[in-house]
Amino acid sequence: MRPPKLADPTMLSVDAISVKRGQATTLNNVSFTLGAGKTLAVVGESGAGKSTLIAAILGLVKCASGHVAWAGSPVSQCRPTLVMQEPRSAFNPRLPLEHAIREPLKAKKIALDTARLKSLCERLDIAPDLLARRPSEISIGQAQRMGILRALIAAPPLVLFDEPLSALDAVTQKRTAQMIADLQSQQQFAALIVTHDLGYAAAFADHIAVLRAGQIEEYAPAESFIEAPQTAYGHALRDAAFALGALERAA
Amino acid sequence: MTITLFGLSATRSGRPILHPTDITIEPGARVGLVGASGSGKSTLGHTLIDALRAQGTTVAHVPQSPDEALDPLRSMGFHWREAERALHLAPNPARQAKLFEALNISGANLRKRPWGWSRGMQQRFVIAMALIGTPDLLVMDEPTSALDPVVAAQTMDLLDRYLADRHTALLLITHDLGLAARRVSRLLVMAQGQVVEDAPTLQMLAQPQTKQAQALCAHRNWRTLPC
Amino acid sequence: MIRVMLGLGARAAVVLAGTAFATFALLWHAPGDPALAIALARFDAQVPPEVVEQIRAQAGLNAGFWSAFQAWIGPLLTGDFGRSSVTGREIWPDLVTAASYTFPLALAGLAIGLALSIPLAIIATRRPGGWLDRGAVALASLGAAIPTYWLGLLLILLFAVQLGWLPAMGARTPVHIVLPALTLGLGVAASLTRILRSGILEARSQAFLPAFRRRGVTPNDIERAHVAPHAAVPVVTVIGLELAFLLEGAVILEVIFARPGLGTFLVNAISTRDFPAVQAVVIVAAVIFVCVNLLIDLIYRVLDPRIGEHDA
Repeated sequence: MRPPKLADPTMLSVDAISVKRGQATTLNNVSFTLGAGKTLAVVGESGAGKSTLIAAILGLVKCASGHVAWAGSPVSQCRPTLVMQEPRSAFNPRLPLEHAIREPLKAKKIALDTARLKSLCERLDIAPDLLARRPSEISIGQAQRMGILRALIAAPPLVLFDEPLSALDAVTQKRTAQMIADLQSQQQFAALIVTHDLGYAAAFADHIAVLRAGQIEEYAPAESFIEAPQTAYGHALRDAAFALGALERAA
Repeated sequence: MTITLFGLSATRSGRPILHPTDITIEPGARVGLVGASGSGKSTLGHTLIDALRAQGTTVAHVPQSPDEALDPLRSMGFHWREAERALHLAPNPARQAKLFEALNISGANLRKRPWGWSRGMQQRFVIAMALIGTPDLLVMDEPTSALDPVVAAQTMDLLDRYLADRHTALLLITHDLGLAARRVSRLLVMAQGQVVEDAPTLQMLAQPQTKQAQALCAHRNWRTLPC
Repeated sequence: MIRVMLGLGARAAVVLAGTAFATFALLWHAPGDPALAIALARFDAQVPPEVVEQIRAQAGLNAGFWSAFQAWIGPLLTGDFGRSSVTGREIWPDLVTAASYTFPLALAGLAIGLALSIPLAIIATRRPGGWLDRGAVALASLGAAIPTYWLGLLLILLFAVQLGWLPAMGARTPVHIVLPALTLGLGVAASLTRILRSGILEARSQAFLPAFRRRGVTPNDIERAHVAPHAAVPVVTVIGLELAFLLEGAVILEVIFARPGLGTFLVNAISTRDFPAVQAVVIVAAVIFVCVNLLIDLIYRVLDPRIGEHDA
């Protein structure tokens, strides 16, 4: 296990990136930084460019301008991983899940650290016999935890989460969020979480970035955003979270 | 008219997925049906609708996503006329205008097909369509989970306002007790195909009796997490 | 929409240009001496070598590949298909005559195919997995597996030889079209039935249909307004593909039923090494294909306007 890195404020730096798709601009001059062990939640409506942002950080789409770096070098060198929204479809339905865990390691030519696997399984509440099953034989909550296990097995310093909870029911959501947070405080990876759930963002992120029409409309520490959003859209988002019961108004 | 049903049950490939259940809903009541995924709450919703329809009670259903309610090849106007015909109602522009205004979709182009509208507008259209015949009961299955939060909150507020002084009862099916607690006065908790707890919302939040209800209450929203 | 049309047009032009070049190149490099073949066809006897050389010069066969290609493609672009190198007659009028026999045959085949497959698919899907359904699927699989020429011979044996109801050979009267059209139509029906059947079943399993049932829309209205339009989309594609089958089938059937038409025209032209005639048939076939596919693309966009949203 790597020792926690402390006081390293800017590991991931996203510097004024813009992405164009056809003639439309899906990301427009987006900048932020993210430190090791920190969590940034990107919230916003569908079509705001949240998924494009993830693709741009992973280098899956080309930026028209600006650049993305991890500790000064290209992001791909830190081998970031991604936890996807729909956990079951992220696995080959015909193969046991253990295969899915080992495959990315094989591609990176890293030996499987069985002690790490065991400890991750424990922390994610994955019974060892689940690894021998196929994706259709486990629950959706278990599948998502398996996705997190796969993302963390090679100890990446940066993990991206694309709506990691939206396929889960309310109780499972909260348990899974708690597990992610515990693993993060132990392993000190930087987490970028794309979500539409402001309640989740407020409870677990250090910073919240509100993305709207490809631009960052508001960027603030989570607490102060919930206390007093600075923009009209930020207000609307927060009030919606209250109205839908995702947040409780402070008494 | 109070809605009363006895012994609702359902099986899938020989296995019971809904154990015999009795249910009573007062006119104009706001009832939440909550439970984890797979607890049988949607099954209860569907069984309830079929039984009520057989009984002659008017009941309307709003599925989770507008994709499950609208034909992408047909115009919105076609859907509306078809819904009126299904209820044996003559076209009534005044009624349509009133519902459209209540759900804030007045002036939208009815000649467009569903995908020409935003998802929020589609969902409000589906709700408006469900209210055409002023049903005794409106069943909504996870009505907000396919929408962005701002739109979802607006939609629920509009519906609340419209239903406020009407006899139409609302059954809100959701996995999210936090959402239900904001909108309903009575909560039913489901687990393993059974209603395990039935209590007024405030009482349930204060003193959940069963393990399932306790879990739902403890994880009601992100601020109440036991961490 | 205009941009879409231009794009489709450009695609069609590329296909046609490629076809023209490929046909010419293939025929040019085919083994055997075309001049000798033409001489044999024209005089039906052994001819002295100088006559063969004369024919070679006349037909432009002694020029190089590129100059011959230019000599052919130039007039073609103005709509001039040239003259047959065997008979010396203009190709275009003969081609039109041939097509006037083939097109009615192909269309009659398509009509019979549709007339058989639509009711069959509807009956089959009334109870999926029932004996009617399984029977229809078995029949359709059988139909798709039987080669056209063999089916044609069987029908001739039955209706012309055994029963004597229908004429088998030639195209003297309109009744002569019945047997070849039926042969063609049975083949089309076989593949269309399978596509229609799965199209209807898929359209019936769409996620939004239960909501319409709960809304109180009658089953008949659901079938008519929400199942049929969705089931129609794949059928249109298949009709486009069927065109290949129809033309190919017509070519073979014309030979079996001794009918005049594009097929007979093509077979004669190939056996006599009549290059300009072969090329003319291939080009006409390619134009028909491209036009039908363009039409299908447009019908598609009318049936399901979501298609093409991305190019607009």
